[in-house]
Amino acid sequence: MDGGRKILHIDMDCFYAAIEIREHPELAGLPVAVGGSSGRGVLTTCNYEARKYGCRSAMPTFKALRLCPKLILLPVRFDLYRQESARVREIFLRYTQCIEPVSLDEAYLDISSLQSEASAVAWLIREQIRTETGLTASAGIAPNKFLAKIASDWNKPDGQFEIRSGEEVDFLTELEVKKINGVGKRTAERLREVGIRTCGDLRKWSEIDLARCFGKFGLELYQLCRGIDLSPVQPNRERKSFSSERTFRTDLVTLEEGLDELDDIVIELAEDLAASRHCDREISACSVKIKFDDFRSTTAQRSGSQIDPEMMRELLAEAWIRGEGRSVRLLGASVHFRTKRGVPEQLEMF
Amino acid sequence: MKFQIERDAFQNALNQVQHVVASRSPLPILSNVLIEASEGGLELSTTDLDVTVSKIVAANVVQPGAITLPARRLAGIVRELPASDVEFDVSADSVATLQSGASIFKILGLPPFDFPHVGEFRNPREFTIDQKLLRDALRKTSYAISTDETRYVLNGVNCVIRDGMLTLVATDGRRLAMVEQDLEFPAGQEVSVIIPTKAVNELQRQLDIKGDVKVVISDNQASFDLNGSVLVTKLIEGNYPNFRQVIPGPANYRVIVEREVLLGTLRRMNLLVDESTNSVNFIFDNNQLTICTTSPEIGEAEETIDIRYTGPRMVMAFNPEFVIAPLRNLDQDEVYIDLIDTSSPGVIKIDEPFLYVMMPMRATR
Repeated sequence: MDGGRKILHIDMDCFYAAIEIREHPELAGLPVAVGGSSGRGVLTTCNYEARKYGCRSAMPTFKALRLCPKLILLPVRFDLYRQESARVREIFLRYTQCIEPVSLDEAYLDISSLQSEASAVAWLIREQIRTETGLTASAGIAPNKFLAKIASDWNKPDGQFEIRSGEEVDFLTELEVKKINGVGKRTAERLREVGIRTCGDLRKWSEIDLARCFGKFGLELYQLCRGIDLSPVQPNRERKSFSSERTFRTDLVTLEEGLDELDDIVIELAEDLAASRHCDREISACSVKIKFDDFRSTTAQRSGSQIDPEMMRELLAEAWIRGEGRSVRLLGASVHFRTKRGVPEQLEMF
Repeated sequence: MKFQIERDAFQNALNQVQHVVASRSPLPILSNVLIEASEGGLELSTTDLDVTVSKIVAANVVQPGAITLPARRLAGIVRELPASDVEFDVSADSVATLQSGASIFKILGLPPFDFPHVGEFRNPREFTIDQKLLRDALRKTSYAISTDETRYVLNGVNCVIRDGMLTLVATDGRRLAMVEQDLEFPAGQEVSVIIPTKAVNELQRQLDIKGDVKVVISDNQASFDLNGSVLVTKLIEGNYPNFRQVIPGPANYRVIVEREVLLGTLRRMNLLVDESTNSVNFIFDNNQLTICTTSPEIGEAEETIDIRYTGPRMVMAFNPEFVIAPLRNLDQDEVYIDLIDTSSPGVIKIDEPFLYVMMPMRATR
C-alpha cells in the first residue's frame, strides 16, 4: 500500500531543556524548564522531572510555577538550539537527503533507499546523536509518517519502536483517536459524542458518514485509522504563515461572543507558534479570518511584527461587519512570516 | 425537431459556445449544448451555471423543437463530417440523427427541460459600447486579475460607470491595471460590478473589432449582446477595494522607454530569474536603464538600454513578470514609467487613459 516505504520520525527528548542541562550539569535531576518568564510567558519545553509535577510545554509559566514552585526557569536561547539542531541534521544527512524538519527537535526521514534494516538505522542515528551531542532522541519506524510519529512516542524517552507493514491495523485498533495528529480537543470531543474513542471504533464508520460528520478531515480519518498515509517526506518546505482556527458547534451571533473566542484563539496561536520550529521567524503581518453561516469567508489583515491581541480584536471587528448580520461558524487568527532573509520581498498595495 | 444546416456554419457556432463547457462536470447536462430550433433559425447555448453563452445561427428549420447533446462530442463529429450540409433529426426520446453525405450518426441526448436557465434581470441598467473599445480595455487590464481564490473579489475585472466615464480595473494586490473611457450613461446612475475571470476570458474571445455590444447590468448578473451571440454572467458579490487610494500621486521623475526594447530585455533577463525570488533590478541612471539579475544557484545576466531619464540614479527591484505583462498588452511604441522614489510604486503610462501601478520588491535585511 505504501510501496514499502521506510520512514523514521526522530524526536529529540526535551530538546531545549536537555541542551540547557548539558550546559549546566549541576541542574541534572532537578525540574528544569525553558520559556518566557513575563506575565504572559509560556513554557517552551521542560524536562521529565518537571513533567512529574504536571508541567507541560506551551503551559503558561505562572501556572507551571504554581504546580512546581521549585521549577528552574531558564531563558530561551534559540541560537544555541539552532546550532545543536544543525548538528543533529548533519547526522541525518549521513543516511538520507530526504529530511523534513518539523521543528528544531523533530524530523521525518525517508530511508526507503537504504538496504539496511530501518530499526538498525534508527538505532545508529540515535547512538551517533548521543555520542556526538550528548543528547538523547526517540525514534519511530514505520511505513509512513503518520505511524512513525505515533511510534516515536511509544518508548519515549531514549527509545524506539517499529510498526511493521501488515501490523498497522492491529496496532491501531486500541489507539485512541486523540493521538492522531490533527485531532485536537474539540474534534476528540465530537468523536466521543458519536461513540468513537479508538481507531477501531473509527473503522466501523463508512467513508461517506465520516465525511458528512467531519467534512474533508473525515475522509482523512477514514484513511488514517486504517494506517494509510501517503503523504511524502517533504524536504525544504518553507511555511509562509501559521494559523489557529476554530469551528463552533453553534454559530456565533454577536461580535462580543466573537471577541471572547478570538482571545482564546490568539493565545493558542501564540503558544503553538512558540512551540513550533517557526518560533524564531520574523512576523510581517497578522490576520483574522471569519467564515459566515453561508460559508463565505473573509479576512482582515494588517502588518505588524508581533502577535498583538488588541490589533487582532480590531481586525475581527473590521471583518465582522462584512457579514452584514450573518452569524459566524468559524474564526481563525494567523501570523504571516517575512520571507527568508536576503530574499527580496514583494510589497503589497492592500 | 428537424433542420438542415451548413456544416461550416454549424461548426463555427459550436466552436464559439463550447469553451464554457466544463470538461468534467458534476451535472451531465452541463457538458451539453442546448439546441433550440425555431423559425428564426437555431440557438445554441452552453453554461457552467456562472457563465452562459448563446449563439444564433441560420438554418432551414423544418420542424421546431429542442434537445441537449454532448457539446465537445458534437463539435468533434461536425468537424469531421464528409459533406458540406448536415441534416438533423431528433426523435421524441432525445436521440439525434445526423446525416451528412453517406455518414449517419445517432447521438443520445438529454431532454431540454433540465437545462439551467438564466435568471431574470432585476433592476437592469443598459448601455452600448464599441466592441473594439471594450476588447482593448479588457486586454489592457485582464492580465492583472488575481488568481488567488482566497481573495475572491479580486478574481475579476471591476467595472465602474460614474459621471459619464467607464473605468475597468484589475489587480492582484501587487500590481493594478486601469483603463478609463468616456461612456454615455444616464446621469445620476452609478454602476460598480465585478465581472469574473471566466466571463472576461470568454468576452475577449467573442468581441470583434467592429460593431457595438449592448451591455445589461443587474444586481447580480450582466449580459453582453454582440453579433448574434449573447454572454450572460453572474457577477462577483462583494466590495472591490478602493483602488483610487493606491494610485500614487504626482511623480517626481518620468522615464521614457521604447516598449519593445524593454520587453525584449526583460524577456531575456527573466530567463535567469530564480523562481523563489522573482526579482530583477532596475538601475535608472543618466539616460540609461540597466536591468540585471543574480541567482546564486543559476547565474547572472545584465543588459543596458537607452532611455530618456535625467533624474538621480535609482535602484529598484520588480517582479519581471509584472513589467512584462502590460508591455505585452500595449501597442504604443513608447511608454512612460513614472517614479517617486525607490520604495514607492512605479506607474506605467501611455498617451491614452491607461495606467498600471506596480509595487516594487524590497530587499529584506
